[in-house]
Amino acid sequence: MGIANYEDMNALELDVIKEIGSIGTGNAATALSQVLKKTTKMSLPAVYVLGYNEAIEMVGTPEEIVAAVLVKMSGEINGIMLFILKIDFINAVLDSVLSKDIDDYMDLTELEKSALEEIGNIIISSYVNAMSGLTGVSIKLSIPSIAINMLGGILSVPMVEFGYETDKLMMINGKFIVDDKVLDSNLLMMPDIQSLNYLMQKLGVN
Amino acid sequence: MNKQITVGIADMKMARQEGVLITYALGSCIGIALYDPMIKLGALVHIMLPEIGRMSNANLYKYADTGLNETLRKMTAFGASRNRIKAKIAGGAKMFEMKGGQDLGNIGQRNAQNVKKILRDSGIRLVGEDTGANYARTMLMDVSDGKVTIKTFGRPEKTM
Repeated sequence: MGIANYEDMNALELDVIKEIGSIGTGNAATALSQVLKKTTKMSLPAVYVLGYNEAIEMVGTPEEIVAAVLVKMSGEINGIMLFILKIDFINAVLDSVLSKDIDDYMDLTELEKSALEEIGNIIISSYVNAMSGLTGVSIKLSIPSIAINMLGGILSVPMVEFGYETDKLMMINGKFIVDDKVLDSNLLMMPDIQSLNYLMQKLGVN
Repeated sequence: MNKQITVGIADMKMARQEGVLITYALGSCIGIALYDPMIKLGALVHIMLPEIGRMSNANLYKYADTGLNETLRKMTAFGASRNRIKAKIAGGAKMFEMKGGQDLGNIGQRNAQNVKKILRDSGIRLVGEDTGANYARTMLMDVSDGKVTIKTFGRPEKTM
């Protein structure tokens, strides 16, 4: 086995992840512009492999409330994808889809939550499609699940899920520009280690 | 103003007489507050996983079994007695409800079960518990009296 931990990836392997990240972000921007019916641009995303506390700091603070959509991957690739939405992203979505704004996460209704769940699902699928398109692997996705809670608690889910394999989280961060608003995009892309090696092998990288 | 000491993820901090030990946003992880009232010695551990596995890479506080054993060892070295130490635990939530029979997020529950089992096996009394459900908890212990406060999003503060 080539890679034993996310931080073991060499420059070439990281480039593969960056490529998946770039294609995925492009797909996501296209999908978002269709759903939101607004011009959506994107910045070139960056890939980070971070320790627990670093990952939380990268996105915000531990007690900060965020919305997060989680999808589980199975089939040839196992792992999880987790997309984090902050209030400005949420309002950009709700404003276009339901013509509504919220001031507080407590104000979210079930309908609004499921709209966000679907947006998260669309974004995650954009990245998964990039992954399978580039490598030819088939990936099954679970039904999305949304949580609105403290960032630290939400990030503990991938940490714990992979805790016996790695001490790191892999994150793809970029920005979407919807009309004139700049929205942060934080996505945790966590194939398990075996799947990561399989991806690299499929591309002949390791 | 009481001095606050932050306990990170897979981490443990100890304090005596005064100060507040705090760990933020416990999701499926568990915070274990251990307190010896006679000598006012308190420890707060933030564990992530139920037991140390084959990947036994150094950080003992990541796992319930090694984390608790190491903390009890340190507390007794500082003069605490096992039959006086009381434990309070929080966390072990299931942050995401997976539909369609996916098995994600049960580690929180396993964490809680294993922490309780280890406490029982070590002869430590469990006097307070706030575990499970689907939300994160911030846990604070005031070392002057051993009181534990739990803060959550959108729910009233809880003391135990």
